[in-house]
Amino acid sequence: MTASEGLALLLLLAGSGFYFAGTVGLLRFPDAFCRLHALTKADNLGLCLICAGLAVLSADWRIASVLFLIWLLGLLAATVSAHLIARQARQAGADNIDPPEAS
Amino acid sequence: MAADHSGSTQPHQRLIWFFQVLGLLLLIWIALNGLDDLLVGLLAAAAGAGLGAWLVPEAPYPWRPLRWLRFAVFFLWESLKGGLDVAVRALPPRLLIEPTFIDHPVALPAGKPTTLLVSFVSLLPGTLSVELDEQRHCLVVHALTAEGMASVDRLEEKLKRLFAGAPSA
Repeated sequence: MTASEGLALLLLLAGSGFYFAGTVGLLRFPDAFCRLHALTKADNLGLCLICAGLAVLSADWRIASVLFLIWLLGLLAATVSAHLIARQARQAGADNIDPPEAS
Repeated sequence: MAADHSGSTQPHQRLIWFFQVLGLLLLIWIALNGLDDLLVGLLAAAAGAGLGAWLVPEAPYPWRPLRWLRFAVFFLWESLKGGLDVAVRALPPRLLIEPTFIDHPVALPAGKPTTLLVSFVSLLPGTLSVELDEQRHCLVVHALTAEGMASVDRLEEKLKRLFAGAPSA
């Protein structure tokens, strides 16, 4: 395994770890708002690390720039949809209902 | 809304806007397609930029690549902190969260700076933008813990620097 393959492996593993943490948060957090936190932050970082790992692995600036674009689009989708879901949940009164006790 | 730069857009401002967007679209074209057939890309980018310049609702802000680069570094660092923050709160046996809603008065001008604030808040550690009250110019933020609000202040400070000064009038 070359050094760049090792670096790519590290980045991919770290990225998967953050996706895992985000999914655990999605399942464990008590209400819609907290779950959105888990999805936006952890998945943003997970996607960033996975794209970086793939870019290192490809060693090609064209592929790297496309991966960068993918990350930007992922960020845009995550932040806009999180904002819309949160606004809808608040207008529907989800913030007035006591969330179930976190176990 | 009554912001400084939302009045009627001057022709030369539309021209600045056209070239800013043209550059950006060309970069995306080159990323997707390489340097072959650049003429097609140039035409497509010019069509997109022209349409944008025709429809643009506000005066363009000055082009500041260096400040944007510094903002990108800040954003990457905050993303790293945000991901770690969520992981640390979600994984232990007891969830480390005390969620609250906080009203954050927005000090930035309406338009692009505020839009960026609303967008980036959700990606920073511990905060989620819920609703923008346009009348009071106040953003409702959902925070996993109240300390998380510090990152909103930091973001607003950075955006203020990014858009400082009058837009190129």
